[in-house]
Amino acid sequence: MAEVAPAPTHWQLFLGMQQVALSSFGGGLSAWSERIVVEERQWMSKEEFITGLTVARLFPGPNQINMAVYIGSRFGGLSGAIAALLGILLLPFSLLMLLGLGYYYLHTTLAVDRVLAGVITASAGMALSMGFKIAGAYSRDPVAMLLAGVSFLAMTVFHVRLVPLVLVAGPLAMAWYWPRGERK
Amino acid sequence: MSASLAASAGSAACQALQLSDWRQLLAVIWDFLSLSLFSLGGGNTLLNEYHHMAVDQYCWLTSRQFAEIYAIAEAAPGPSSMIVGLLGMGAAVREGPFWGVISGVAAEIAILLPSTLLMVVAALSWNRLRHSPWRVAFERGLGPITLGILFAVGLKILRISDHDTPAYAVSLVVCVLMLRTKISPLWFMTVAGVMGALGLVNR
Repeated sequence: MAEVAPAPTHWQLFLGMQQVALSSFGGGLSAWSERIVVEERQWMSKEEFITGLTVARLFPGPNQINMAVYIGSRFGGLSGAIAALLGILLLPFSLLMLLGLGYYYLHTTLAVDRVLAGVITASAGMALSMGFKIAGAYSRDPVAMLLAGVSFLAMTVFHVRLVPLVLVAGPLAMAWYWPRGERK
Repeated sequence: MSASLAASAGSAACQALQLSDWRQLLAVIWDFLSLSLFSLGGGNTLLNEYHHMAVDQYCWLTSRQFAEIYAIAEAAPGPSSMIVGLLGMGAAVREGPFWGVISGVAAEIAILLPSTLLMVVAALSWNRLRHSPWRVAFERGLGPITLGILFAVGLKILRISDHDTPAYAVSLVVCVLMLRTKISPLWFMTVAGVMGALGLVNR
């Protein structure tokens, strides 16, 4: 717990998160978030920030957006969360809407069509890597691999939708992994 | 524009909704609201559901368009999973850019609202939650399910994106490089885009 600056106002939350969004044009959003929130503006200690990341990853929703909500709500409750959320989303989302309009009006032109035909092969590779990226954490646990395999087959082969899959498999998995007698 | 719309209408039996009809807009908003709390593992687990909604259920997009807006959302700066804004736009853009943007913003708000409210509660009560057995069981139990779903999502996007051997080869190389190196994904997209422009990979 090094020196921590006074709690930010809503306007400062908005501006700080907007700075995070702007700095990370080109990638590395969570690294920028830590640099700006912990080092530059000193709203939080590094430990607090890491706790926030843990919560953001655990709960549903996009991780970086959850992190902004975590930071905002720590200092301003629900309205602070909205200020932080607007800060991190406003510019990237506006740009995305412009890109989207460009796409929907131009995607049938030949040049755009051919470039996109190439680009989607790369993004498909990126999508494929998502599972492999976290698979290592579970590879030594046969029950986890079984759960992953069943979930994969249910979706891919039997076309089970996500909501019923999670509602059935989720409670079974939680019962299996319920902590018994261990204290941390 | 109209050519692609005709193509998407011809590919399935369903009919695209008119989102300038507010009842249909509300139905779409409700669909996104009800998916929000199921966005495990950072939201990418929902991609199969988005594809189901946008392509099979509502006919907003063709599979190929879905693959393209996934790529655009990945390439664009900012938090991931803003693809919902582009889906919402695709749902209404045939009724003009104004409705496209309104629908895009509405879809994004709908997908973020429930998870944001839950996150606020979580942030404010974390000290009590952190040692709860529910937290431990949720984290350990839902992790492997998330893993299985992410593999299903990856395979789905691969299937709708790639249609010839060179395309599959590029995807596999990108996948390996994503796992083994720290090169920015933007480079992979740039190189693959150039390959597409040169006609080296086709649909």
